[in-house]
Amino acid sequence: MPAADADRGDRRSGLGLQQRRALNHAAIFLTIVGLWELGSRMGWLDPLFYPRPSNILRSFWLIYIENGNIWPEIYSTASLVLSGFVAGSVLGVSLGALVGLNGMVRRFVKPYVIVLEATPRIAVAPLLIAALGFGASSKIAIIMLVCFFPPFINTLSGVVNVDEQRLELFRSLGASKLQLMRKLVLPDALPVIMAGERLAMTSALSGALVAEFIQRDQGLGALIMTYTRNLNMASSFACIFTLTILGFLIFRFMEWLDRRIAFWNSEEGLQRVGARRRKRMEGLA
Amino acid sequence: MKTFRNMTVVLAMSLPAAGWAQELTTINVINPLPRSTIFYPLIAGEALGYFEEEGVEVNLLPSETSIPYVAFVQNGQADLAILDASETLSAVGAGTGIQVIYEANQRAPEGIAVSADSDVQSIEELAGTTVGLVTDRDRAFLAQALYAVDMSLDDVETVVVGEGGPTLAAAFRDQTVSAISGASSDWLALQANGIDVRMITPEEVMLNPAGSFVISEERMDELRGPVEGFLRAWSKGAYVGELDEEALAEISRQAVPAEWENEEFGQNFLAAAIDVTLPQTEQFGGLQPDVWESLQERLVAIGAMDEVVPVDTFLDDSFVGPANDWSKDEVADELQAWADENM
Repeated sequence: MPAADADRGDRRSGLGLQQRRALNHAAIFLTIVGLWELGSRMGWLDPLFYPRPSNILRSFWLIYIENGNIWPEIYSTASLVLSGFVAGSVLGVSLGALVGLNGMVRRFVKPYVIVLEATPRIAVAPLLIAALGFGASSKIAIIMLVCFFPPFINTLSGVVNVDEQRLELFRSLGASKLQLMRKLVLPDALPVIMAGERLAMTSALSGALVAEFIQRDQGLGALIMTYTRNLNMASSFACIFTLTILGFLIFRFMEWLDRRIAFWNSEEGLQRVGARRRKRMEGLA
Repeated sequence: MKTFRNMTVVLAMSLPAAGWAQELTTINVINPLPRSTIFYPLIAGEALGYFEEEGVEVNLLPSETSIPYVAFVQNGQADLAILDASETLSAVGAGTGIQVIYEANQRAPEGIAVSADSDVQSIEELAGTTVGLVTDRDRAFLAQALYAVDMSLDDVETVVVGEGGPTLAAAFRDQTVSAISGASSDWLALQANGIDVRMITPEEVMLNPAGSFVISEERMDELRGPVEGFLRAWSKGAYVGELDEEALAEISRQAVPAEWENEEFGQNFLAAAIDVTLPQTEQFGGLQPDVWESLQERLVAIGAMDEVVPVDTFLDDSFVGPANDWSKDEVADELQAWADENM
């Protein structure tokens, strides 16, 4: 059906585009869940691997409301994710900028970072625990290691790939190093850096899970291991879906943050900030 | 209500420790699982305040790492480790300088199990078949079990089926392996989910110091006071299993609700935990030199150890007396008071 006809149909039914999309998603989701439930009840799906959605729903009630035992674990995992992300990002961006801006540092540091990047983090995790000890510090170090590379690589790439012509222009106008950084390098690199941050934040959740699978004291990873070990697959799935929701929220938050910080990277951001500045100017006048 | 309580706990975790709190010595204990019914002496001792009474708090370091636990005892990150007999003897054989001070589980939680529908009736019938191992560490136990009936690992094929619940359960249910060597917690999960199992473990290997507390020889004097207190509280917690299973179930429900979502599973798990925890010796945690000796002989015979190490070089029973220096009547009264308040 042509788009115009679809729009006319929406208007006739009184539904906006957003509502129609939401309804479509809900319909797809309910169909999948319905088929899953049917498949489980008819014995087409192995209950050991695919518990019934109705049982998963019951588990959600148990772990969130009746027992409430998931809340401390969510808090623990979320705190780890946040701490590891901040530590990894700060290190990645600072080192990326340093390596990008200084050719000498780049020559010496970059090969080591690339070698480290090629090392599977999951293999390093037990060694980190042995070196830093049990507890939050080694878990944060694991997440930090996971979060470090995207901001590092993107910052490095953003700083190195500044538009040559604009750089020449700034130099010919006698811009100082600080002005070059503030007015050219940073604005040019920030959208790329933010893309790295988005990637880092979503990877942080995986890092936290790896850390919690190894150090099983607390967190959603430890809870999933307990449920899986006990073959309580419905609760295990409830925890996994919680992680999915958490990951989705984190991703949307990072998108929002990206639009706020690197607003010049999108038409909508430019319009929003432009309108705000116009308002402020009008107030001053 | 429980949600509110948990959220309060979360808030409390983010606040600095109250200045008036009693100064407690932290005992770091490394073991495979977080707080669990299988280690009920800990959760019972905590619920009844025994560890706090002794001035210790327990920091569990549950981990699934490729680095042997004994390394963490050696480097001081862990004050105590719960090791199974094979791990202990490997560490002793390697001259790591550890001492066994308390046998927490005197009956092996490990075993060899077959599906209830299986034709296999005894371990001898495993010859020429493929036996599953929950983890590679279960190989040593299987070797001992086979040795007990004059067989060896050469008589069977082995494959690690993994401790991930569903994979293990599928291997069991579909009988892709003839038997599985693993721990009681693995069978319980299967049984609670309607997969019946039958144990074919030879009686000779059942009496096996399956979980013992070990300590670094070098740090023994430094840690003696708090470790004695820890073991005393542990022993009192263990005694609760003998006193009142219902009260213990309630303690466990409150401490580890994740293990009680299926009541049948929780009850079975608790019964198995009590079975492997209550002592075979007169005292809680008593050391059994003769059992360690015969175990070593089996391990030497199957090639897991080079030679028998004299037991007096790694068994130190000086902690067992202080660990049992308490009154059973007092524990019974305290448990009753807890039950009156909480049940």
